[in-house]
Amino acid sequence: MIIEIGYFAVIIALMVSIAGILTPLIGLKTGNPAWIRAGRQAVTANFILLSLGCGTLIYSFLSHDFSVKYVAMNSNSRLPVFYTVSALWGGHEGSLLFWAWILAAFAALAAWLHWKTHPATMPYLLIIESSLTAGFLALIVFLSSPFERVFPVPAEGMDLNPLLQDPGMVFHPPFLYLGYVGFSIPFSFALAALLSGRLGEEWIRATHRWTLFSWIMLTFGILMGGYWAYYELGWGGYWAWDPVENASFMPWLVGTAFLHSVMVQEKRKMFKVWNLFLIIVTFSLSLLGTFLVRSGILSSVHAFANDPGRGVYILIFMSTVLILSFGILIIRSNRLKGKIEMDSIVSRESAFLFNNLFFLIATATVFLGTLYPLLVDTLYGTKLTVGAPYYNKVFLPIVLVILILMGIAPMIAWRKASKENIRKNFLIPAVIAMAGAVISAILGIRQIYPLAAAAIVCFVAATIVIDLYKNSSYWASHSGTNLLRGLYNTWYHNQRRYGGVVTHVGVLVLILGIIGSSAYKLEKTVILKPGDEFTLGHYSYKFQGLQDVQGINWQGVESLFNVYEGNYFVAEMRPQKRFYTGGSQMPTTEAAIQPRHMGDLYLSMTDITQDGWITVMAFQNPLIHWIWYGGGIMGLGVVLILFKRKRRES
Amino acid sequence: MTKSKKIGIGISILVIAGALGYLALGNFGENLIYFYTPSEVRSLSPDYYGKKVRVGGMVVDGSLQVVPNTLRMNFELTDGAETIPVAFEGVPPDLFKEGTGAVVEGYWDSGNLFQSNMIMAKHSEDYMPIEMKRAGVELPKKDMIKTLQR
Repeated sequence: MIIEIGYFAVIIALMVSIAGILTPLIGLKTGNPAWIRAGRQAVTANFILLSLGCGTLIYSFLSHDFSVKYVAMNSNSRLPVFYTVSALWGGHEGSLLFWAWILAAFAALAAWLHWKTHPATMPYLLIIESSLTAGFLALIVFLSSPFERVFPVPAEGMDLNPLLQDPGMVFHPPFLYLGYVGFSIPFSFALAALLSGRLGEEWIRATHRWTLFSWIMLTFGILMGGYWAYYELGWGGYWAWDPVENASFMPWLVGTAFLHSVMVQEKRKMFKVWNLFLIIVTFSLSLLGTFLVRSGILSSVHAFANDPGRGVYILIFMSTVLILSFGILIIRSNRLKGKIEMDSIVSRESAFLFNNLFFLIATATVFLGTLYPLLVDTLYGTKLTVGAPYYNKVFLPIVLVILILMGIAPMIAWRKASKENIRKNFLIPAVIAMAGAVISAILGIRQIYPLAAAAIVCFVAATIVIDLYKNSSYWASHSGTNLLRGLYNTWYHNQRRYGGVVTHVGVLVLILGIIGSSAYKLEKTVILKPGDEFTLGHYSYKFQGLQDVQGINWQGVESLFNVYEGNYFVAEMRPQKRFYTGGSQMPTTEAAIQPRHMGDLYLSMTDITQDGWITVMAFQNPLIHWIWYGGGIMGLGVVLILFKRKRRES
Repeated sequence: MTKSKKIGIGISILVIAGALGYLALGNFGENLIYFYTPSEVRSLSPDYYGKKVRVGGMVVDGSLQVVPNTLRMNFELTDGAETIPVAFEGVPPDLFKEGTGAVVEGYWDSGNLFQSNMIMAKHSEDYMPIEMKRAGVELPKKDMIKTLQR
């Protein structure tokens, strides 16, 4: 009974969202603000209705109502409560509903937040947000409802895939969705600007925080996915250029380009059409990301049963969004002739331009590699995949150039940088970069990319430190205090810039983590009997024996390893093999991970024979913690900007 | 901005985009890994011997022979029509067993042995590698689902 209430709530929400498209439209025609207010009431009502919809589904999960097909498919009575709730987004239907719920929440929030400040934008924003909601709800109601009953009622549910029974996987999809859906707000503002003809910088200023919020959520979502893959899948890595990873990476890349290029419009009123183009692409790729992963076109841990009806619907929905938004952009772009031109190629504008160029080429690379196999399959029925070396080859140089630009862009002058400006800002960092490369070479780094990366990271770090030092000492002498106080003043008087600098520091740390853990990774696969020992790097691993272990809904075997560095005992490590006792008896491999000097020692037991021999994959991943730290620092930078305090004007 | 500077910017963008485009497309072809069924592998022309490909099929019941205390094993892969022998060295994924579907990566070694050191991981028992959905594999797939339910 409860679940039908939820189903009705969602059906009503679909009707309300259609009303939410129509009423602001009438409001625009008649000029009567009451109609527009009705549009706001519609998005608010939608949020309440969809909360009810999600609520009844969660209730059915918690009460183990296996007469609900989605509940029976994605949970069972032995599943811990935590995962029972998160099973809401564990499958295709539920995750769509969850997406729609976030969309409704953001639409309502945006309508209330910007109601007073952006009245002219409101009707368009409401129409666009309601249309998107209607698009998702129609898919849910007609083609993939999580509210379906199943008969006869199964006595017990199937299991949630054991690999997904992990905190990392609980938070990974919501963060991605917050990012994807968050981009719908700047997207709506952009289209509203085009439709209403208010083509200034207003829409960019209004959505600045939405953009940053969405971007950092997407960043976290991607990193969490990587972290999960790293400790849950047991192959010692965190990123495989898997199509589903790429699906979330593409909107991130274009979103990052957008995040930077809006600054040029704010400061110099340039790149107007370009920014509109970027946000449309960012949101379209967010939709594509959702659908690629959730439609079952791609094969992966994320993909679910494929239903042709859904595929067709999704294709139509995506094409409609693309055609309408690009159509509006093309029709209105003649009004957008930028009057200001670039003064010089040696300028901050041009640094941003090249930043954008590289991010877009990176996106195109991923797009090609991800969608080409689908295209070839559709056209010729030939199955193929694009190997990871393709991506690595293209990305390494692109990342390095983007890093160089990250050092240059914040320091170089707008309009036209003088020779003096360049010498003053970049001579010392360039020298430090050289020194960094030489020192790295002396320390034993011989490969070309890590050497170049070390030099570039030194360069960027030097530009940041020098800039901070100069400004801090300026403020220190200005107000007669010490350097630390000066540093605070530096940040306080330009919180947005220095929030950005913190984020850049996070990127540097993250890149160092990626380079350390990929270029200097060690790995070895060995077969051992109890008492055997093997070495990897500086460490020796002694296999002590096997023992049984048990969890709430799994049984397992773990092997005990004593790890030594020389004669020094480092740690005991216990890689496990688990057998889940739920619906599927599938075995999983739980890697043992021992942090060591900001890197990890990583053991994954892949096989146990009856006579007690085991197969173990051992990895040593130096600096891998820096990836997670880097993500944290990036988050801190964004928080500093999002919660920046208003300066008191003196 | 003068015309020459504009041209300068235009040219530098083109050069960079071109260089990166070349980088991307230049090594695109050589990084494509084709997927075949055992029947198609049997009919591969010698040009393709030694090229990295993926093959999907059912692991024939009773064909799996593990060489004790090594990472080597031998098994046969079938699509119902043809069967090929596979020599594998490495770590098979958790869900690899006889009578189920598997996708192996490696190369067809001059005529009668598929050498592989990677078996693609399946992340769930219900999940079929997308390659398995192809006609020719469809039929064994039904049996496969039966075996998965055991």
